[in-house]
Amino acid sequence: MVSILVIDDSVFSQRVTADLIKKMLPEAEFHFANDGEQGLEAYKELNPDFVFLDLLMPKLNGLDVVRLLRKYDAGANIFVISADVQKSVKDKAVELGVMEFINKPFTAEKAELTAKIIRERINEAG
Amino acid sequence: MYYDIITELFNISVGKAAGILSEIVNRKIILDVPEIKLILKEEDAVDLDACISDKISGALMVSSISFENNLKGKANLIFPTEKMKKFIHLCMNEEVAGKDDFFSISEEEMDFTPIDFDVIMEIGNIVLNCIMGEIGNFLKVNFNYSLPDVKIFDRQTFYNDSENDGYSHVLVLHITFVIDEIEIEGAIIVDLTLSSIQILLEKIKELEAEFHV
Repeated sequence: MVSILVIDDSVFSQRVTADLIKKMLPEAEFHFANDGEQGLEAYKELNPDFVFLDLLMPKLNGLDVVRLLRKYDAGANIFVISADVQKSVKDKAVELGVMEFINKPFTAEKAELTAKIIRERINEAG
Repeated sequence: MYYDIITELFNISVGKAAGILSEIVNRKIILDVPEIKLILKEEDAVDLDACISDKISGALMVSSISFENNLKGKANLIFPTEKMKKFIHLCMNEEVAGKDDFFSISEEEMDFTPIDFDVIMEIGNIVLNCIMGEIGNFLKVNFNYSLPDVKIFDRQTFYNDSENDGYSHVLVLHITFVIDEIEIEGAIIVDLTLSSIQILLEKIKELEAEFHV
């Protein structure tokens, strides 16, 4: 079982992300949070294997969530899924050590690539 | 020359947004920007009215995102409300009617649910981020965005809202959005402060100078 926490203030995007990943990783179990603060709390409570994180969210934005998650768990596996196409924003996220920066919309092709990275990470961890 | 460059920048970014929309609904979408106008609100209020009225009928569904940092303003994606319900079904991969009655829906179907608003807000967020972000990448300006918003306006309320938002200038892009051979006329309106217009023109001047090196 792979546990995945999706942190996104759009229920539509949560659904798209989970549906597409579920097709590639049927064994995945999903949890959802609707803003940055809720996401941080959910992470501490659930300790998921992977996080799918939006950037523009109420209460706590995604980049701040990455910073706080890193303090709490330096090894957190974080994928950013964002509508923001600005190079400067992507550079900041990569600097903070996210696994991949994926631009919305999340598609079947992007889900396939993400599932491949997840499988590789699981295999590495043994 | 400035006008040519800004038109080209918006054409490129809107083209990318069309590709993104196609990915979302899994259908071929053509987005065209036939004209762009820069309007000074105080002097040309009637002009803004004419720009919208000519192209879009009925109530307006407006998806917005505000931005600040190098430039300060608000980008709005505007479509006629009556065309959006079926579009939402497409985004959700739900069953839609045949092509002939693709965008004709009954009155009871016109009620928008919270999920419908969420879908339009997210689509507007993705499209407007694509358009503004690509232009920012070209002109080397950064934006900090506020949370996206979506509202349904009658025409007059929209004009009143736009007149009182504190922005002096507005860039109006008429867009034609073709999905399954059906045309939807819409608009992208970017409200900007006077200083933002000046910075925008300065950045375009720098870009133009790079072309001539």
